[in-house]
Amino acid sequence: MTRLPSVASVIAGAALFCVVATIGADAQGTRPALPDWSGIWAMQGPTVFDRASVQPPTGRAGEPGVREAPPYTDEWEAKYRTNIDLVRQGKFPDPVSTCGTPHGFPRIMNVPDVYEFAVTPAAVYVIAENGPNVLRIYTDGRKHPASEDLWPTYNGASVGQWEGDTLVFSTISLKGSKDNDVIVDRTGLVLSDASRATTRLRRVDENTIEAQMVIEDAKALKGQWRVTKRYVKQPAGTWAWDYACAENNRNPIDPSGKTLTLGPDGKPLDK
Amino acid sequence: MERIVKRLNLALAIAFAISLGPSVLAHHSAAMFDDAKVVEKKVTVKELQWTNPHVWLQVVIDENGKKTEWSLEGGSPNTLSRQGWRASTFKVGDVVTVRFNPMKDGSAAGQFIGAKFEADGKTIGRW
Repeated sequence: MTRLPSVASVIAGAALFCVVATIGADAQGTRPALPDWSGIWAMQGPTVFDRASVQPPTGRAGEPGVREAPPYTDEWEAKYRTNIDLVRQGKFPDPVSTCGTPHGFPRIMNVPDVYEFAVTPAAVYVIAENGPNVLRIYTDGRKHPASEDLWPTYNGASVGQWEGDTLVFSTISLKGSKDNDVIVDRTGLVLSDASRATTRLRRVDENTIEAQMVIEDAKALKGQWRVTKRYVKQPAGTWAWDYACAENNRNPIDPSGKTLTLGPDGKPLDK
Repeated sequence: MERIVKRLNLALAIAFAISLGPSVLAHHSAAMFDDAKVVEKKVTVKELQWTNPHVWLQVVIDENGKKTEWSLEGGSPNTLSRQGWRASTFKVGDVVTVRFNPMKDGSAAGQFIGAKFEADGKTIGRW
């Protein structure tokens, strides 16, 4: 007597067929396999955003007199010079010192500590340990929301598509700087709420991921600002950890813009 | 000769510290620290606050019988752990020589550079 298959085994068989069929479709090229960007990565170099234009060439963000050369309009060049002067006076606080707001885009591509790049069929997530911060890039074919459905946010709205192994994504609806509450780096770089970017993210070799950003800003920039950041693969087995910024933040900002240093009792040590 | 080597090491440490600049502070301006100066002091460890966004090494400096607590700020425990630090690296009562960039205003704090343990001569950080 022939035994009939159980309902469970039929369902399991159907599920297995679907999985095999899906893998087969990928193998046949109907949907190219996604690149492997797994592992832990760290940005190459210090946190000067546009290292190609920084002066002096060894200058670091936060050091007095260090600047880059974005194609600012006269008005925004003047803002930048004001900020550079505030850096010189020690009164250009980093807004993330409050442990309350994200770095925002494009600064999220320019932070210390380590990164992870999570590639999934419907989205890519750039996860920065520092902050922590997450940049979500939807790759499921959606378009940017209609303007009436958007509001300015720190990381804006990003959608992208794959061009071979390169993720090309567009970021809009950024909050921009208002009284330096969002910055691009600690030299004093800021952008406006009209800023937007097209980024090409790819793995250029076994140990390097590269982000080529083309930034436009109808208010702050006279032309396109092209900045490239690179991320270096860390040794296998490297861990990324929780970054609880508010756990023991002993560096609040006073009303004058000065960053304080608190003692273990929570009182300012500054004289 | 030993003194010359010691001074040379200190000079190299200073040059390295200057070249690295304020990059260890990943979450706030480092304008309060004087990166051009490196202070070296023998201290006793009171506490290591192994916390984000920065670790804090609380130490006691004894100068002519006058004991003062100093706060030395380091990087995040995340990054330091990847550089070999652990929460148990400094223990209460450890006697160490520390190097740090002092506060510009002379207050009892600084940006940690490195330390050498008196008990076994081991070093941590940039030394």
